[in-house]
Amino acid sequence: MSLLDIADLTIGIPRGRATPLVIVENASLRLQPGEMLGLIGESGSGKTMLCRSLIGTLRRRGAAILSGRITLAGTDLAHTDEHAWRDIRGRRVGYVPQSALAGPNPVMTIAAQLREAILQGTPGTDVPARARELLDLVQIRRPERVLDQYPHQLSGGMRQRVMIACAIAGTPELLVADEPTTGLDVTVQAGIMQLLRDIRARLGTAIILVSHDLALVDDVCDRILVMHAGACVESVPANAAPRHPYTIALNRSRIELAEPGAPLLTIAGQPPSVGDWPPGCRFAARCSIAQPDCGLGPHPPLRGEAHANACLHPERAA
Amino acid sequence: MATDDQQAARGAFLRRSLGRLARATGVALWVMVIAFGLIRIAPGDPVIALLGAEAPPAAIEKMRRDLRLDVDPATQFVEYTWGMLHGRLGTSIETRRDVADIIAESLPVTLGIIAVTLVLALAMAVPLALLIATRRSPIVPYVFRATTSVMLAIPTFFTALIGLILFGLHWRIAPIIGYEPGFPGNLRFLWLPALVICTHLVPVLSRVLHASLVQTRGEEFVETGIIRGVSRLRFAWFYLLKPSLAPSIVLLSYMVGVMIGSTVIIETIFSLPGIGRSLVGAVINRDYPLVQGIVLVFGLFVVAVSLAGDLLANWLDPRVGAA
Repeated sequence: MSLLDIADLTIGIPRGRATPLVIVENASLRLQPGEMLGLIGESGSGKTMLCRSLIGTLRRRGAAILSGRITLAGTDLAHTDEHAWRDIRGRRVGYVPQSALAGPNPVMTIAAQLREAILQGTPGTDVPARARELLDLVQIRRPERVLDQYPHQLSGGMRQRVMIACAIAGTPELLVADEPTTGLDVTVQAGIMQLLRDIRARLGTAIILVSHDLALVDDVCDRILVMHAGACVESVPANAAPRHPYTIALNRSRIELAEPGAPLLTIAGQPPSVGDWPPGCRFAARCSIAQPDCGLGPHPPLRGEAHANACLHPERAA
Repeated sequence: MATDDQQAARGAFLRRSLGRLARATGVALWVMVIAFGLIRIAPGDPVIALLGAEAPPAAIEKMRRDLRLDVDPATQFVEYTWGMLHGRLGTSIETRRDVADIIAESLPVTLGIIAVTLVLALAMAVPLALLIATRRSPIVPYVFRATTSVMLAIPTFFTALIGLILFGLHWRIAPIIGYEPGFPGNLRFLWLPALVICTHLVPVLSRVLHASLVQTRGEEFVETGIIRGVSRLRFAWFYLLKPSLAPSIVLLSYMVGVMIGSTVIIETIFSLPGIGRSLVGAVINRDYPLVQGIVLVFGLFVVAVSLAGDLLANWLDPRVGAA
């Protein structure tokens, strides 16, 4: 049985009597316990909103689940009220915020922040011992020194390690990391990625790792779900060759694959903006193999089990 | 456990404190020079003011000699500084009383006004700013800004008079005149003057705090607090107020520093025997030692309050002063 099951999830911003502004449409994904999933997409593809639906902070941004199901090991997350969320956040779903710089509270010591996270996750714990254990788990050396410090006294990488420690304080089954390495140096990014892998290995936590950088998540995740303009377009197992033209194009535009002297490969055009989605496949306008039927009907759904693809003409893509 | 950086932090704190002290001494010296010079540049003569213009020249001469006003100003300044170094502020020319005694008598009244004002202002401004910053209404902040602008446009001497007429004469719940030293008896005489000063302090304070709160509200760490499900009280303090208060505290310390001087008007209207009123009398009588003493106290007060404000801001938000 899968740990997380999202089916036909549509998220949007209600606009009174007008039709809601849809941000994510018919998203589906399944996550096995202990699986590490990379969620990839350009800005505005809906990946952050998808994450927020998993920790119940859509309403704060004025958004809501319009239809579909989210089930976390038998619990319905799509129809959870604010009170019930308190038992889910931290204990069953951990969250690592987007920015290492702005994520931790600047006016609380690391010890105080860990304490909050520990007591939320498991009330009645021996806080100092657990705090040390957590800092050890996120591979912070000399934890006693870090505990008394404020976030601004730590480097970006250290701050994000602390945020990860807070997120796993309640040993959640699922950890959602929304672009956890934004603004960090490349070497530090690699360290954080490795840490997430270690945590998965040691605690068996399922992880959803959001990124717009395919190269970054490619190495560490078991599977990658690619989103484009609010829709899931492909679910690729690690090491499998991508089959959707968008994923193929993303893969080709990876900067480390560029040949010296040759122009960088890019994807032509812009992703259609929210509220301005064309009918049919939303990538059709940017696609090199688009056929006339690509621009018809609703957005094609993901088809297939292990390697699901939303492209109508996968045989033409290469 | 004293780790290396704790020691380094302590060293930095000590260095900063010593630097502060040196700066305070410098400010005090400047204030002394300026107070000494200004009152002497101002036209008028303390002896004439005391004895009257028709006094016999011999008496005037004698008094001038007694007060050592016959020597040149440079010598007077050296003698004054020498006295200061020995803890003597001098003797009031008008009352022949020790300047330190006069200050010790009138300063607590003014500090009382300031203290009550501070408590009232914080008790009103903080909840107000918090309430407006956490309500997602488009109209409320607009009404708030308009109201505070109107309040700022009304001068305090006018508010003070209206306050006296309403609370003192009409409803008879505030004394119109008089003062009683000592806490808590003095509160009966201080609440209305403090309230009047608050009509200017609260709008400024709540607007600055509101702006900081709105900025904090949009920060990412606020979401962390929501996700962690901390209690409402904890959230309001650690996730909203504590990260937002520093600019307001620095502003407040500045305003309090200025307030000691601006209470002159309030003390006069409410006939409170504070230090501001003593200064007005001293200037009118050209009471050189008293003017110098009071102005020096003002200067030291401003320095002390701004130091306290900085330390408090640094305690609330460790990012302040870390750079």
